[in-house]
Order: sequence, then structure tokens, then C-alpha cells
Amino acid sequence: MKQEDRLKIQAWLDGELAPQESARIADLIDNDLEAKELADDLCAMQKTLEVGEKLAFLEDSREFYWSQVERQIEAEEPITENAQPELMSGRLGNAIRWLVPVGSLAAISALMLNFDSINTTPDWHETGGSEIKNPQTNPINSPSGLAEGAGTVMEEESPATPEVGVFSFEGTQNGGNFASPEDPNTLPESIENPER
Amino acid sequence: MAKLDIPNAADDELVRSAQNGNMAPYEELVHRHRDKIYARAFSMLRNEEEALDVSQQAWVKGWQRLKQFQHNSSFTTWMTRICINLCLDFLRKRQRQQTDSLDQMNEETGGVERRMEVEDYNPTEEIERSELREEIDAAMEKLSYEHRTVLVLHEFERMEYKEIAKSMQCSIGTVMSRLFYARRKLAKILISLKKERQS
Repeated sequence: MKQEDRLKIQAWLDGELAPQESARIADLIDNDLEAKELADDLCAMQKTLEVGEKLAFLEDSREFYWSQVERQIEAEEPITENAQPELMSGRLGNAIRWLVPVGSLAAISALMLNFDSINTTPDWHETGGSEIKNPQTNPINSPSGLAEGAGTVMEEESPATPEVGVFSFEGTQNGGNFASPEDPNTLPESIENPER
Repeated sequence: MAKLDIPNAADDELVRSAQNGNMAPYEELVHRHRDKIYARAFSMLRNEEEALDVSQQAWVKGWQRLKQFQHNSSFTTWMTRICINLCLDFLRKRQRQQTDSLDQMNEETGGVERRMEVEDYNPTEEIERSELREEIDAAMEKLSYEHRTVLVLHEFERMEYKEIAKSMQCSIGTVMSRLFYARRKLAKILISLKKERQS
């Protein structure tokens, strides 16, 4: 008997087999001795486990147990309750959300304009405008003055690209579930919250 | 609004009050169900200290997420799921520190099953239910964590294959395979325990 059929016999007993397969497996159990023995064996185990499990009990007193839970709750609450409102609440929060990127962009633009005037104007006067070189070939003439640094950063970051691919592949293997097994906060909500 | 009679209130009433930020009703809920949550943690982790820690973490998480609870299932079912998830996280971390178990290798090759004989076992005929529970408990302890977990989730928590696969972050095929081997191994261990008892 194929292992696949063994697993289907088990699924049939667990009520997990699709209706179209159920008839075939029922027929297999009726006509194949090995299949019948396996079904009987699995049934016996199911019945055995129906008695339930031995329950473990806590030895700590109610007060002691609760005091430990309460202490952990209190220890974690300032992080979740106090941090968020300060950053996100009210009109100020909304204004900051818009002002930070717009302000940053304005500051960068102003800096770039300043660098242009600082770097190009003296050269123009000193050389008479005839010896201005392509700024890309001379990092000093880069508008931001960071051309060399930026290149270095790009080289350092480039090996990270394949890691993204690997991550995506693993995620696909897990049925598209990208949740990190280490972080309970990222576990599927339907499991954490069985109502969903 | 009438004051809640905490010791005599139903779970649902306590939960609704706790959802408004009242901690006293939550303390009562912890008191009522702490053994059940601890027992589930212990059945999965098989270590008293770890089970105690995880059960307490579950109650902390329960409080933090209480507003997400929508009363569509019982509070204990919801809390048990939180506890199971924490246990699975804990077990994954522990497992990552160890090398792959022989059980997993066997599952991949399917080698053990072909050599395993179908045992004729009827344990209910001689021993009382409580003794049988003791024996099941002893046998469960001898299983690998993957096999024990899949049995606990399916047989005692009544979770479907799909739900178990999601919790354990594996395929339904893996769940079926693990469940199959877990049952066979459990039967084998129970038989050997029975023989030990008789000799």
C-alpha cells in the first residue's frame, strides 16, 4: 500500500478527506486487508486518546501567580501606551507627518543650490569658464560633494539584493506566510484570534 | 450602572469589564483559567518552569490584546490559542538550537513506516481511565516535540489539519505525515509501557 493511501485513510478517519476521495478510500478499506488493519489500528488510537490528557496544576498561590502577571503587564504598559500618543495623536502629529519630509526636501534642495553656487562660481572666475570639467569625473565638483561616498554606499549595499530574493522564496515556500516564527506579534491573527 | 459582582459574574461579563481597562475582572479570569492555560503549556513544553513562564506570558498578551477579542468564541479558547502560539514560538527557538531530529529525517524518507508492523492494541480493556491518562502522558513525553504538538493540537484541541499547518508553519501534507507517525509511535510506546507494567 502506498504511503499516500495510508495518509488518506487517516484523513478519512479524521473527517478531513474530500468527498470525492472518501468513496475510494472506504472501498479500499473494505477490500484490502492491510488497509483495514491500518484503519482499525488508527481507530483504536483515536479511542484511546478520547480519555483525554492528564492535567497539570499550578502549585503557586493565586496571589503570587497574579502578582507576577500584573508586574509583567505594568512593566510592558509604558512602552505601548505612552509612546504612541506622543508621536501620533492630534493635529500636531499630522502636521509633523507632513512637515518632516517636506522640510527635509526643502533643506536638501537649498543645500544643493548652495553647493552649486559655491563650487561652480569660483571655478568659473578662476578659469574663465574654459576649464570646467564634467563634474562626474571629479568628485570635488560633485554638486553635493558626496559623489565618492555615495558610490561606496551603493557598493556596500549591493550584496543585500540577493537576500531579498532568498527571503521572498522562503516566504513563498511557506505558503506566502512571511511571519517570523520568532515574533509572536507577527503570527497570523486568525490563529492568535480564532474568531477571525 | 450596577457594580459587577466579580466572583459570581460570568466570564463574558468579566471580559467586557476588563476590555474597558478594569484589571480586577481580569485577575478573576486569570484565577479561574490559569490551571487550564498552564496545563496546555506544560503538555506542549514538558517543563514546569518553562510552562509557568509561558502561561504567564500568555496572560500578559491576553491583557494587551483583550480589545481584539470579539466574543465569537469562548474566552478560554481564545486564551488557549494565545498560549499555543507562545509555546510554538518557544519550541521553534529551542529546536533551532538543536540539530534536525531523527524523526524529521524519517518523515522525509518514509523509511520507518515500511518496517513498522501494525500493532494490535486495545489499551482500554484493563486499565482505568485515570491510569490510562497517566500512561498517555508518559508516552507523550517520549515523543519528539513535532509529534507531541501535532497530537495535542489535533486530539485535544480539536484543530483541523489546515489550522495546525498554519500554527506550525508547515504544509498540510507535513501535518498529515507527522500525525500519522505520532499516532504509530504513541501506540508503540503504550504497548511497551503495558508490557513493562505486566512484567
